[in-house]
Amino acid sequence: MKLKLYLALALLILAACGDSPPQEQSRIIDNTEEVQQYYKDHPDFFSFKTLNDVPSNLDWEDGADLPEVGSSNAVKGGMETVRLADFPRTLRTVGPDSNGGFRPWILDYTSMALAHRHPNQLDYFPGLANRWAVDQDAKTVYVELDPNATWSDGVPITADDYLFIFWFFRTQYITAPWYNNWYESQYTNITRYSDHMISISIPELKPDTDSKVLELRPLPRHFYSEVGDDFIERYQWRFAPTTAAYLLKEGDLKKGRSIKLTRNADWWAKDKKHWRYRFNIDRVNLIVIRDTPKVFEAFKRGDIDQFGLNLSEYWYEKLPNTDADVENGYIHKKWFFNERPRPPYGLWINTDRPLLNEKSVRLGIQHATHWQLVIDQFFRGDYDRLNTANDGYGPFSHPTLSARPFNVEAAMKHFADAGFVERGDDGILMREDGTRLAFTVSSGYESMKDILTILKEEALKAGIEFRVEVLDGTAGWKKVQEKQHDIHFSAFGYSLELYPRFWETYHSSNAYDKAFLEDGSVNPERKSKTQTNNLESFAVFEMDSLIDQYRQASDSETMIKLAHTMSELHHDEASFVPGFYSGFFRLGHWRWIQYPADFSFKHASGPSQYFVHWIDQDIKAETLNARADNLPLTKTIEIYDQYRTAPSP
Amino acid sequence: MLALNPQTRKKLARFRKIRLGYYSFLCLSALIALLSVAELFVNSRALIVHYNDTLYFPTYGSFYPGTTFGQDYSYETNYRELATTFDNSDSDHWVLMPFVPYNPYENDAKGGIMRPEAPDFSAGHFLGTDTTSRDILARLVYGTRTALLFAFAFMCSVYLIGIVIGCAMGYLGGLFDLFFQRLIEIWSNIPFLYMVIIVFSVIPSAASIPVRIGILLSVMVLFSWTSMTYYMRTETYKEKSRDYVAAARVMGAGAPRIIFRHILPNVLSTLVTFMPFTVVSAISAITALDFLGFGLPVPTPSLGELLQQGTANLRTAPWIVTAAFGTLVIILSLVTFIGEAIRESFDPKQFTLYR
Repeated sequence: MKLKLYLALALLILAACGDSPPQEQSRIIDNTEEVQQYYKDHPDFFSFKTLNDVPSNLDWEDGADLPEVGSSNAVKGGMETVRLADFPRTLRTVGPDSNGGFRPWILDYTSMALAHRHPNQLDYFPGLANRWAVDQDAKTVYVELDPNATWSDGVPITADDYLFIFWFFRTQYITAPWYNNWYESQYTNITRYSDHMISISIPELKPDTDSKVLELRPLPRHFYSEVGDDFIERYQWRFAPTTAAYLLKEGDLKKGRSIKLTRNADWWAKDKKHWRYRFNIDRVNLIVIRDTPKVFEAFKRGDIDQFGLNLSEYWYEKLPNTDADVENGYIHKKWFFNERPRPPYGLWINTDRPLLNEKSVRLGIQHATHWQLVIDQFFRGDYDRLNTANDGYGPFSHPTLSARPFNVEAAMKHFADAGFVERGDDGILMREDGTRLAFTVSSGYESMKDILTILKEEALKAGIEFRVEVLDGTAGWKKVQEKQHDIHFSAFGYSLELYPRFWETYHSSNAYDKAFLEDGSVNPERKSKTQTNNLESFAVFEMDSLIDQYRQASDSETMIKLAHTMSELHHDEASFVPGFYSGFFRLGHWRWIQYPADFSFKHASGPSQYFVHWIDQDIKAETLNARADNLPLTKTIEIYDQYRTAPSP
Repeated sequence: MLALNPQTRKKLARFRKIRLGYYSFLCLSALIALLSVAELFVNSRALIVHYNDTLYFPTYGSFYPGTTFGQDYSYETNYRELATTFDNSDSDHWVLMPFVPYNPYENDAKGGIMRPEAPDFSAGHFLGTDTTSRDILARLVYGTRTALLFAFAFMCSVYLIGIVIGCAMGYLGGLFDLFFQRLIEIWSNIPFLYMVIIVFSVIPSAASIPVRIGILLSVMVLFSWTSMTYYMRTETYKEKSRDYVAAARVMGAGAPRIIFRHILPNVLSTLVTFMPFTVVSAISAITALDFLGFGLPVPTPSLGELLQQGTANLRTAPWIVTAAFGTLVIILSLVTFIGEAIRESFDPKQFTLYR
């Protein structure tokens, strides 16, 4: 009897530990009232006016004169197979797990904003907007929406879809603090004049004031009417109505394996200038293949249509110009030089660490890292040396500063200044008190671990030891965000912007809490500040005021002058060892993939970014037949260097 | 002494008779002996330098800066360059380089480009170079040495813990046995790979390579000792009821003495037969972990890292995977042959169907 009782009790406990009862899926949420109330509660931010309130003296622009994007030879049709490195964990474009490798396909590269930067000219061409005007004095951008614009489900896009983003991105429901912060701090007002006329205001005037407004993308108000506290689960696998040319149809998502996107034949912008020759391929089949070597094998078999050849080993060895498929002209190779902000690959030295807070040690490290060897021998001279942390911004980048070269004598002289004179038994410099000149060099880039070992071997000559620590991406990023690193090898992915940002990486408020006392001297009790992008713990009193001036400056000339001064200051502090940049992208593609005559664009980051390629079915049949019969076609290896920035070696 | 036990002597004689196992044992012993002085065969440091009528032996000990031999740099002498310099001058200085004049870390890009190069006897790269132009033979030799050392250390630790706990469980029985059985059941269900990943994510970065290897070793031991206890427990249970144990107890021997002096020698055959297989599994485990990127820290030479490089460059540099895979096959075969021979010679049944 007692036993039975115990058993029953145990079962009860087990049952209690199990899943909580299934949530009521059919719970109806309608946030219409909540959103309207939010608009009412923030009258300064959300204004409702009439068309008569639009100033009449505005200088309207419409970007209509900008050249087409893509080629008029493009034909629609065909299916392209593309590799995904990992299956997306959600179809949401915001919130946890949303920022993955799949999102560009449904948001960043495909969906429409009010206007887009022309990839060759940088000026804006219209997307969802018909025309726009900047009111400099009021720090406001007026936008007239294209009345023909509709969501993929046919619902017209109106001003309400823009008001809505300032509720959506500010709610706690979406669990995305960066968005919360951005949409709360970077905009001051949105005004609705009519269904197709809005204006948006921002706090500070800038040379690119328009970009902050014109690059906004609306949200389908009618689709997100169910956003509530269960947003993350409710919208996890729901495909939102989109402004993009590609749709995800019912049944085309095979979890863990593949996603098929279909071109929307009724896309509202299909005949619009700048858009009509893009998004040519009918079906995009995204399949998950994790290993890059396997992707390459699939490409060589013809299962995958294009393969990025940025890495030297692929361009020169795995798909050499003498490869049978290249020789016979079945696979074409393209090398395109571009011009855009360069990701600052280099060593970020944490100046908050002992020894590394001494400038002469940092100067020594600058001369002890042999980047040129990495560039010449590992990247085979294809890459170029980065000179500052902000290269590729045109006039905003410093014109003359150059990175310090590898030089054992110079490095040892600087180390000697810091008291490191004698070499120990292992060749590493030591101070008299026995302190060794050794630092951990960490990185989250598994694929670049060889670079660090090369640097380590060369640095030994200058008497400094680098302990290489290769972490996985997330752990590496966490480490620098916690400011737990000595020296970290990393880079930031910069989007196409007119001028570099300095506040995020060099302002003392991102390095310490109260870095300086009133008189500008170092606060002895300052504490390191975590979760910021100031990876160098860079805190120079003079820099702070320069950054503040830079942020407030509104004309390019002042900003350029300030940017140069700040770059020099940053160079003098020697807390960042500039590494390398690749001034190009390379591609191998099967012959039936066609590109416009210029192949790509001056400011493009990759060949597929603007979806200007197309598939020629006749050529495909011809190529496959020729390949089956082993008939040679024209060998095509092309180099497009019209936008090359660095001089040829 | 165990070696004097006529039973043991008989077993050893039987082991010698099993040719394959015995020769494998000799080969492996020779290999280990060679590997333990690998610095004399595979090294970028010279064996002997004759300079200004003085003989230098740089292989072991602290480094000689280039200035020692009249070079103009203060870092470690590049002995290969030094050899050519001396050869080209008409002095009586000379340098004797080891068989493979490279260390496993240096990038030796002959053509000015770091890429895998096929075996080249004239350059001294007998097995070619890897993706960053490091000598494969050098990496293989030092990688194998680490793996073997690791495997033996692993085996010893696992056996020590396994024997002590297993024997105690079998001998003491009762509540102690019951408690440890449950503990082991739970413990052995913790996924080992996840634990390695978790532990490695929290190891302080300042830890040096030997420390990190030590930590990896202890984590692996921590999750591998359980299987040994079961064999020891059952064996001890069996032996415990024998008369000689009772006799020992009557004579007043304590538990540790009975376990280690009386029971242990009698269960040794079980123990010994498992040894080679433990070594095999340790080598495989460390290689697999390396292959997945959770093993030895960069740029420590290792078999797993070479295998990984090899599979990524299967088409363009088949010599990488051949070298790593070949070595692994040879070592594991040797150990397995030895294991089979030991198993057979320690088997109390003289005539067994197994051959």
